[in-house]
Amino acid sequence: RLLYRASVGATEEENQDLPKKGKAQGRKRASAPDGVVKPVKLSRADLYKPPTNEELNQLKETENLFHSSLLRLQIEELLKEVTLKEKKKQKIDAFLHEINALLSAVPETPETDLADQSWLPKDVKVPFLQVPFSVKGKFRFLPPAAVTVVGSYLLGTCIKPEINVDVALTMPRAILQDKDNLNQRYHRKRALYLAHIAQHLSKEKLFGSVRFTYMNSNHLKPILLLQPQGKDEKLVTVRLYACPAPGFFKPSRLYPSKNNVRTAWFLEQGSPGEGAAEPPTPHYNNSILCDTGLESNLLFLAGASAGFPGMRDGVALLKVWLHQRELDKGLGCLNGFVASMLVAYLVAKHKISQGMSGYQVLRSILQFLATTDLSAAGISLSKDADSSLPTLADFHQAFEVVLVDPSGLVNLCADMTASKYKQVQFEAKRSMEVLDDSTVDGFQLLLMTPKPLIRTFDHVFHLKHVSKLQGACKKMQLLNELMDRGGNYVAAALPFVTSLLARGLAERVLLLTHSLPQAPQWPISAEPPKHKDAGHLSFGLLLTPAFAASILERGPEADRPEAAEFRKFWGEKSELRRFQDGAICEAVVWGAETMCQKRLIPEQIVQHLLWLHAAIPESSIRYTGAVLESVIRAGREPAGTGEEAMVSIVRSYDDLSRKLWNLEGLPLTVTAVQGTHPALRYTDVFPPTPMKPDYSYHVRIKDKESLLPLPEKPCPAYIAPMKVVCHMEGSGQWPQDKEAIKRVKAAFHLCLAELLSQQHQLLCRPAATHADVYKDGYIFRLQVAYHREPHILKEVVTPEGMLKYRDTEESQLHLGHLQQHPAFSGTSRLAKRWVRAQLLSDSLSDECVDLLAASLFLHPAPFTPPSSPQVGFLRFLHLLMAFDWKNSPLIVNLNADLKVADYTEIRNAFVAARPHLPVMFIATPRDKRSSVWTKERPSAQILQRLLVLALESLRALEEQLADPLGSQDGKMVFRPPLDFYDILIHLNAKQIPRHLEGVDRPAKSFSRGMLKSDALVTTLIFPVVGYDPVQCYLQELREAFGDLALFFYDSHGGEVIGVLWKPSSFEPQPFKASNMKGRMMASLSREELVTVPNVEAILEDFEILGEGLVRSVEARTEKWTI
Amino acid sequence: MAAGKRKHVTPAEAGAPAGYTAVPVKLSEKQLSPHYLYVKEHKVREGTDTTHPPNRTLFVLNIPPYCTKACLSRLFSCCSSVQAVNMCEKPGPREKPEAPKSKFFNLKTVPGFRVAYVVFKNPAGIQAAKSLSLQGPLVISSESRPVKTGIRKWIASYAASVVDPAELKAEVDTFMHTYDQKIAEEEAKAEEEAGVPDEEGWVKVTRKGRRPGLPRTEAASLRVLEREKRKRARKELLNFYAWQHRETKRENIAQLRKKFEEDKQRIALMRAQRKFRPY
Repeated sequence: RLLYRASVGATEEENQDLPKKGKAQGRKRASAPDGVVKPVKLSRADLYKPPTNEELNQLKETENLFHSSLLRLQIEELLKEVTLKEKKKQKIDAFLHEINALLSAVPETPETDLADQSWLPKDVKVPFLQVPFSVKGKFRFLPPAAVTVVGSYLLGTCIKPEINVDVALTMPRAILQDKDNLNQRYHRKRALYLAHIAQHLSKEKLFGSVRFTYMNSNHLKPILLLQPQGKDEKLVTVRLYACPAPGFFKPSRLYPSKNNVRTAWFLEQGSPGEGAAEPPTPHYNNSILCDTGLESNLLFLAGASAGFPGMRDGVALLKVWLHQRELDKGLGCLNGFVASMLVAYLVAKHKISQGMSGYQVLRSILQFLATTDLSAAGISLSKDADSSLPTLADFHQAFEVVLVDPSGLVNLCADMTASKYKQVQFEAKRSMEVLDDSTVDGFQLLLMTPKPLIRTFDHVFHLKHVSKLQGACKKMQLLNELMDRGGNYVAAALPFVTSLLARGLAERVLLLTHSLPQAPQWPISAEPPKHKDAGHLSFGLLLTPAFAASILERGPEADRPEAAEFRKFWGEKSELRRFQDGAICEAVVWGAETMCQKRLIPEQIVQHLLWLHAAIPESSIRYTGAVLESVIRAGREPAGTGEEAMVSIVRSYDDLSRKLWNLEGLPLTVTAVQGTHPALRYTDVFPPTPMKPDYSYHVRIKDKESLLPLPEKPCPAYIAPMKVVCHMEGSGQWPQDKEAIKRVKAAFHLCLAELLSQQHQLLCRPAATHADVYKDGYIFRLQVAYHREPHILKEVVTPEGMLKYRDTEESQLHLGHLQQHPAFSGTSRLAKRWVRAQLLSDSLSDECVDLLAASLFLHPAPFTPPSSPQVGFLRFLHLLMAFDWKNSPLIVNLNADLKVADYTEIRNAFVAARPHLPVMFIATPRDKRSSVWTKERPSAQILQRLLVLALESLRALEEQLADPLGSQDGKMVFRPPLDFYDILIHLNAKQIPRHLEGVDRPAKSFSRGMLKSDALVTTLIFPVVGYDPVQCYLQELREAFGDLALFFYDSHGGEVIGVLWKPSSFEPQPFKASNMKGRMMASLSREELVTVPNVEAILEDFEILGEGLVRSVEARTEKWTI
Repeated sequence: MAAGKRKHVTPAEAGAPAGYTAVPVKLSEKQLSPHYLYVKEHKVREGTDTTHPPNRTLFVLNIPPYCTKACLSRLFSCCSSVQAVNMCEKPGPREKPEAPKSKFFNLKTVPGFRVAYVVFKNPAGIQAAKSLSLQGPLVISSESRPVKTGIRKWIASYAASVVDPAELKAEVDTFMHTYDQKIAEEEAKAEEEAGVPDEEGWVKVTRKGRRPGLPRTEAASLRVLEREKRKRARKELLNFYAWQHRETKRENIAQLRKKFEEDKQRIALMRAQRKFRPY
């Protein structure tokens, strides 16, 4: 950003944030002069001196323990960044001591009924949803019997930025009573206990804030958060847990199969149940049990990590990994504690040894997660062979994911849903693949790249109001689950909703996951948040490209017993169908015509199933899968997003190439036909549509079979000529002189045109450089090529008579097998649309955008290849913004032609030649050294501007997509900011042939001289081809004023041209005969004459050159006044 | 930006650099601010320029894009009758005269602001032209001969881009005919010379001869080098001598060291850019 400002100049508002950034850069400058990696030069003596023992050891260790030295250094830096400094630790210790002293001084209270909370002052509210309110039992406050620090702080595995210290307060035995395990009595005592402490601590000056939150967002378990006063407020959060006196609860009462919440109490029915068996309450039981094991688990972990620094590092890395994937917070998360337990498990199983480095620990744990399905085969850390303990099967009965703690009683993953665990497993698998791939920077991808839901999943939908799940619970009859979860309908319904969707979407999705409901923190004087305050719930789908768009759901044969179940599952959508193989089956057919509708079939399924089975109406689902597609939808209704149009173009093109091959009477045969227009690669933003000109709208050129636009009518619709290169057979007859080759090619164009019209009755129009063919309403522009022509053009004879070739071979972009990704076309087109909408049409080549999009599909790590244009586009923006263009080449391995050695070669060559290479360097298998597609464009300033725009757009777009209640206008990031330009040239919509392609569809459209495509007219006169007045205008402007200003335009129907003066040319300059373009003389002092741009006249020139096209020229800044 | 350090600059209405005269010019009466043509007598230091005779040629700078040759000729014809107008992008000696003009190939238009050499029939034209600065701005587009700009111009150039196939064919045929003749002549001459030693006794070997030599191209010489290299590599024995073994080990360590240094530099850079903050 700075670079750009420096050279282009800043407006006032942007000037303000300059100092801040200047400082940041200043710091950077201190260590690296210009932020560019330079090739290392070591003297021979340094390189070949005999190694010391120590050095040899280190080199060997690096090789054994880490992947490479770079990885080792990176990991060390990261750990330095996230671990707690010793100085801070001392501060925290002091703070903990003070808390300890305060806790023992909290006064006792007299004993009251549990339901009588009048003793509690009004300024503190009980942090518990007391529904139903009435409950038996007595409560009094006594100072804690013990205060112990537990958890990651002692183990040294807590990481920045959120340093949490967990402190367990043991409630004295005298507070608890028999049967406290029943009906939330224990939980309420816990809450009251914390409320009383909170009320007292809040009066202390020591604390900056005293707040409540739910432990892991489980609303049965409030905890108290304490932060120190003053500038250390953000340093640490001390979390107070209340736990029962050890040995108070009898474990056998709390086994997963036991009931501890009575139905009658929960439903507030007076009489106890009439002999009906009470359902088990495993989650409820688990929530009590996990309070009993806090200390013993700490001891267990301390035992595992003693004398094992690698474990500490490994857990820290794993926590970073989890955080980047948004797996470490919320109800049912895989938090740091569970992660440490997993490492301890592997240590116990001897899968991790004490000599391992943090990196190896991370690797082993990822390997373990990737290969172990805890939702099918859980594990237990218990070494106890006590047969009275519940078995793993018992746990599986009660929970979706099973990881039993060393006591053999607590399931550490009780709240996790199976689909969440599947996601963890999926991520671990992908990460292992990345770590094994030596061509990528695994560290960057695994630990430094955030994976927000909206950028990770192809389709995302939100439940706007989780309160709708209350109805879902009723519809799905989940009373027992509600009781078990203490009335939390979100937690109760979630597993059922995900399994419902997983069944309905079946093989269409690779992975289905949901966001974790997160409870906020709240001040102690506020009521605790209700279940509905968990905000919205988001679901993410990773689609399988092969099946996601299928319109048919084939069920069992009609006479099979499963048919009834199928019908029940799909409801009215299910119908009997006869298939080609003769079977009569139940089937569901989804209505979708075009590709863009087919992509949204998962939306139909989700809406249908959620309404049918969970009573969630369509209106409370916000499905974001195709929000952006409106900008690549061509004007006319009912149109798709261009896929079908391009298929029909390619069909017509194939037919043409066949005809060219078989043409009779050509002096030489056609050896190859290549379409180079983006529509033929399926990446044209708005593919050409068949056109039939209306004769009466045009005038005919005298003596020629061609139409001409009329100046007084609106400009005719733009017909893009599609370039097709026609390679002719080589022969000795070809001349060796470039002028002569031009003539021969012209003769071929004439010949091709004549033969095509004779043999295939096609309307053709030859010219010296090409021959246009009108076919099926499209215009193909044939260009004959002679394979040796580029050589002849580049032949240079050296003084010694050696024949040399300059090596820049103008090649064509072959995207190869990318068509196997159905979303590629949409992604590339959205990206192009965005670039052009930012008025940067001419600053970035089409092929460059195609390659950027291709890299998202060929090198998706840490993501999966995008299966929807929307997510592809988000990652395109992210790539632009996050890629280190200055120091790395973007390597796009088309057709997988590059091998590992090639990667190193490309990187080394890049580092060596960096200063002479384009600012944006893209290497492909055919172009390893020069990056032909980015050679001319973009310039450093434009790239900088592009990055700023990408950053802003990505932020705005993700915010918008992630917020289900906000506006749904996906076009926002496609509207360019205009305050940046010095001059705006407003154009007359009448003369913009592509006006309809604009981001916002124009209110007024013009008739553009085309008949309807189904009109029964044969076109015999050539339509107006490739005539775009705006492009003519831009060309003239750039030719005339290119030295003075930059011109920006959206080639898809933009109504405005942005002009930016080049500051350098506004400096008064001494007179030079060769540099007087558009300038005039001015006197600097009395004697000295200098030249300055003749701005007034130039502004008038803008209008003159664009006569009929320009509506007005608006000078926005006074910068240019001299 | 210029606004930042604004010096006191005042536009000089009819100011002109030494030797030049400023002539204001505008497209039509409607235009408010004129452009300035800077004119002077064309002089060359050495030799005589036949196309631009020194005493009759006016050198014109800063001609606006919409002003064509014809316009310029008309503007200056009030001074004296104009013999020729030659427009180019930059001042400087004229490129060598091009091959006979073609209607379809190598069409070059000089875009943007240009310079021109106006050759008068009469030397008096130059003085007359210099005195134009005293009058009001010259007007390029007149009622009788309007200059096309914008939409009308683009439509006209579109119409001009549509060619008549017959005409094109005729031109191509004549060109190829002369070209073929030229080639045939050259070949005949080469054949005549083939095998005949020159006065020092050297014989020229060509591709056409009985024993054609290797073509002298870069690719061919590279190929030869490559083949040599491969041959040598095949003969070499690896790890045969003890020193070879030592050498490979040394090389290995050197490589590791080099990589390590590079990595350290990379890390330092990333640390400086605060790239290790995971979130």
